[in-house]
Amino acid sequence: MLTDKVREEILKITAKYYNKRSAVMDALMLVQKDCGGNITRGDMEDIADMLEIKPHEVNAVATFYTMYNYAKPVGRYHIQVCRNISCALLEAERVIAHIEDTLGIKTGDTTPDNKFTLSTAECLGSCGTAPMMQINDNYYENLTPDKVDAILKGFE
Amino acid sequence: MATVIINGKTSSVKDGTLILDAARDAGVEIPTFCYQADLMGVGSCRMCLVEIEGQKKLQPSCITPVMDGMSIQTETPQILKARQGVLEFFLSNHALDCPVCDKGGECELQDMVYKHGPVEGRYAESKHRFHEKDYILSPVIVKNSNRCVQCLRCVRVCDEVVGRNVLASLGRGHEQEETSFLRSRLDCDHCGNCIEVCPVGCFMRLPYRYKSRPWDLKGTDTICPYCATGCRMVVEERDGEALRARAQIGVGINSETLCARGRFGFDFINDPRRLTTPLVKKFGKLEPATWSEALDFISEKLSGIEGERIGGLASPVLTNEELYSFQKLMRSTLGSPNIDSSTRWDPVVVENYIAASAMTSGGLSVFDAAEADTLFVAGTQLSDENPIVDYIARRISAERGTRIIVASVRDMKLDSSAGLSIRHLPGGLGALMKAAALSLYESKKDKLQGFAGVERFEGLSADVLLGEAGVSSDELAAITKRFETSATVALTAGTDLLRQSCGILALGLLSDVLKALGKEVLILPILDRANQRGAWEMGVLPGLAPGYRTASKRGLGTKEMIEAAAAGGIDAMYVIGEDPVGENPSGVSAFDALSKLSFILVQDTFLTDTAAMADCVLPGAFPAEKDGTFTNQEGRVQAMRRLKAPPGDARAYLAIIASVSGVLSSTTGVCTKTNSMQVFNEIRKEAPAYAGVSLEFNNRKNKLNKLDNREALAGASEGGFTPVAMTSCAPAAEQRGEGEFYLITGNTLFHSGRLSHSSPTLTGLQKGAALELSEADASALGLSSGEEARVQGNDYEVTLPVRLRKGMRDGVVYIPEFFPGVSVERFFTTGVSLPVVKVKKS
Repeated sequence: MLTDKVREEILKITAKYYNKRSAVMDALMLVQKDCGGNITRGDMEDIADMLEIKPHEVNAVATFYTMYNYAKPVGRYHIQVCRNISCALLEAERVIAHIEDTLGIKTGDTTPDNKFTLSTAECLGSCGTAPMMQINDNYYENLTPDKVDAILKGFE
Repeated sequence: MATVIINGKTSSVKDGTLILDAARDAGVEIPTFCYQADLMGVGSCRMCLVEIEGQKKLQPSCITPVMDGMSIQTETPQILKARQGVLEFFLSNHALDCPVCDKGGECELQDMVYKHGPVEGRYAESKHRFHEKDYILSPVIVKNSNRCVQCLRCVRVCDEVVGRNVLASLGRGHEQEETSFLRSRLDCDHCGNCIEVCPVGCFMRLPYRYKSRPWDLKGTDTICPYCATGCRMVVEERDGEALRARAQIGVGINSETLCARGRFGFDFINDPRRLTTPLVKKFGKLEPATWSEALDFISEKLSGIEGERIGGLASPVLTNEELYSFQKLMRSTLGSPNIDSSTRWDPVVVENYIAASAMTSGGLSVFDAAEADTLFVAGTQLSDENPIVDYIARRISAERGTRIIVASVRDMKLDSSAGLSIRHLPGGLGALMKAAALSLYESKKDKLQGFAGVERFEGLSADVLLGEAGVSSDELAAITKRFETSATVALTAGTDLLRQSCGILALGLLSDVLKALGKEVLILPILDRANQRGAWEMGVLPGLAPGYRTASKRGLGTKEMIEAAAAGGIDAMYVIGEDPVGENPSGVSAFDALSKLSFILVQDTFLTDTAAMADCVLPGAFPAEKDGTFTNQEGRVQAMRRLKAPPGDARAYLAIIASVSGVLSSTTGVCTKTNSMQVFNEIRKEAPAYAGVSLEFNNRKNKLNKLDNREALAGASEGGFTPVAMTSCAPAAEQRGEGEFYLITGNTLFHSGRLSHSSPTLTGLQKGAALELSEADASALGLSSGEEARVQGNDYEVTLPVRLRKGMRDGVVYIPEFFPGVSVERFFTTGVSLPVVKVKKS
């Protein structure tokens, strides 16, 4: 279910577009931010209703773009480690393994306390500072195991 | 025009033609997956890559338009290698379960790989599996995404042609899957067009699943027996059981599309309850008999009855040949003028309808109507009743910008393609058209000085008409503005005009005004029985002989025959394929009336209520069990062929009519022809409109998807006739009181007439009738969806579950026709075309 606040924001954004349906990506982003990172079936139906489109059209957009977390519940902090060429050459795999060990989870999983979710991402456009990761909306760059420890501690 | 050189051969094509179409025109075959005629190109499959001189990369021919002087190669080594690559890539993630796939043997991927594919694949990676077990999307559609080639034809056909838009492509890359919202059950038209366009075994029909392999099926071309659109289809059987019906691309006006009734409704033909032997009443009970016993019995009974005391009723789902022979048998052999082809329509209204919709001036192609500047859809629930016309209108309006105006009581799917949708009051269509005509006339009065029939405007006032129609003056202004700015206007004449005869006169008036304003007016009849137009053109009407000539003697219509039977005015009835007892079209009880007859002869495929009380029942055949022709609503005459023999001793109606005629008359050659082509040649002589009709094209597959075969359209009828003037058009609606509603009726998407109720698949899609009403009305009555409501008329009442409808007009309820257990006809007592009913929560 969408909160009233999100509904209001979606309406505001809709006004910027030539037609309502064009606001579907913004709407999904707003919903995802508001509900703690996971878009549900009900959310998609509500968005479809608001934008006067069909639920499967929202479904198609939400599953096409990897940054929408549909049907993949995530913890409060969503760690996405880049594993494309530049990061991979600079041992992104080691960073991933280190995070897995530290948090005691596998890639794709969420910690039992629902705090962290670890996933991998394709190029996030920060090759100059590889290896790198994104936690929620922020980039963390030039990673080493020690640096990762410090970053994760920061979220304690 | 542009000149292109394809594989060294020069040809000239229209500007903007796609390379693919230009190549096909020139006879060069280019393989495709995602390309589908009539759908927007996406260029996603890359099967159709071609080499264009001067361009380094290969280009997809299905989305690249030609340019003048372009030189194109379609078979270079580079292209062949690219095709192999594309196919190898498709197979890298394809399930390759051909031995258990329903599509195996008619699969485009199989054919392509066989023809263009690599010998072996190099991909060693594991395949992505979407799911382990096939999942069911609807009662008729089952899905296996592991076989998908991501061509998006299903998504496009659902959105662009069918207009339901319930499929999307979820995910991306090799995880892309064309399916419904979260793979949930579809709430759609269940038309199965997604199955038909699917090149592989991804969308499959559930009723046909694992039943047969395509090479074991034997098929023949036939015509859908439901509505009068006249869709061509192939019915296929195995071991005497009809297993599926499908449409073919490039064949018929429908090309590859059908609706749920056409595609899944043909299984009635396998019904075990069908009549297989003649039945003769002995000691008050119908007993099986041989044909000669039955015919002797008929001859003995009928020969003693005076011709004029016999009534004849034939179904409008019979072929032209059968109907022609039947009227000849009735009129010449028996000497009876009493003949009709419907239990619903008043013959006088029908005559006026024929005249107003210009059917006498010959056939009108539905494509011409859809390509008019404005298409005014009125008097029909088009999207439910004639879905393929709805598809054609939607597709062409998107392509050519036809402006569609929908005028109806209930919302319909076509609204989404219409620039203007008007919800008028039931029975208000006539007033709406009159108001439009009046407003056009008044605004251009100076131009229309010599307008013939100006007296028809006398006493009309725009305000009163708008009140009767329940339409605002703004809406009227919008309609007339569209008419004024169009050079060609197409008007549909739906079956509601036959129910509400006021509309017929209004249609005539509106078309006359538009013509006087210098516009080309096209009137497209929209009918709901496969050969209704053919029945009228064959003279199965009390006042008309074949070819729209006035009958030498006017006989009784169905209602009058039943009333005459009740009053002792006739002694016998000869009924083919109709069920007046079950449908009870008259004010008097048809059962009581027919009980008084001394002889009832019925030819039917099922033991209907009428057949059950008959003295003799002769078993008949369905389409696909006989040869013949149908004339669709456009006036297009199309032939169908026999696929298999009817069950048991059943015979084609034409053969039965010939036998009956043979035993009744000593003079030979009256109507004893059993070969439909011979009868059709006779029809060509009797009805000059059919003289030039070509049946040749019928089963010809047209690779270029040119669907409009004009040589099949009937010509103009010579002479013409003057319809009997309607004494008064249907009386104005009774005033509606508190808690009362106007009742309207019609067909539904899954059922029209009795036939569809014998189809297990269609009954599975919609079993019982429901009462439809607007959300506001329902909440005022305290009703919610699925709850039961009691509907009370003057002398009939019924309890029905409720279905809410968003776009329906308040104050109106709808109950579909011909549902078993619901005799909606009984609300329409004689003379009342718009009954008022009380609705209560039960």
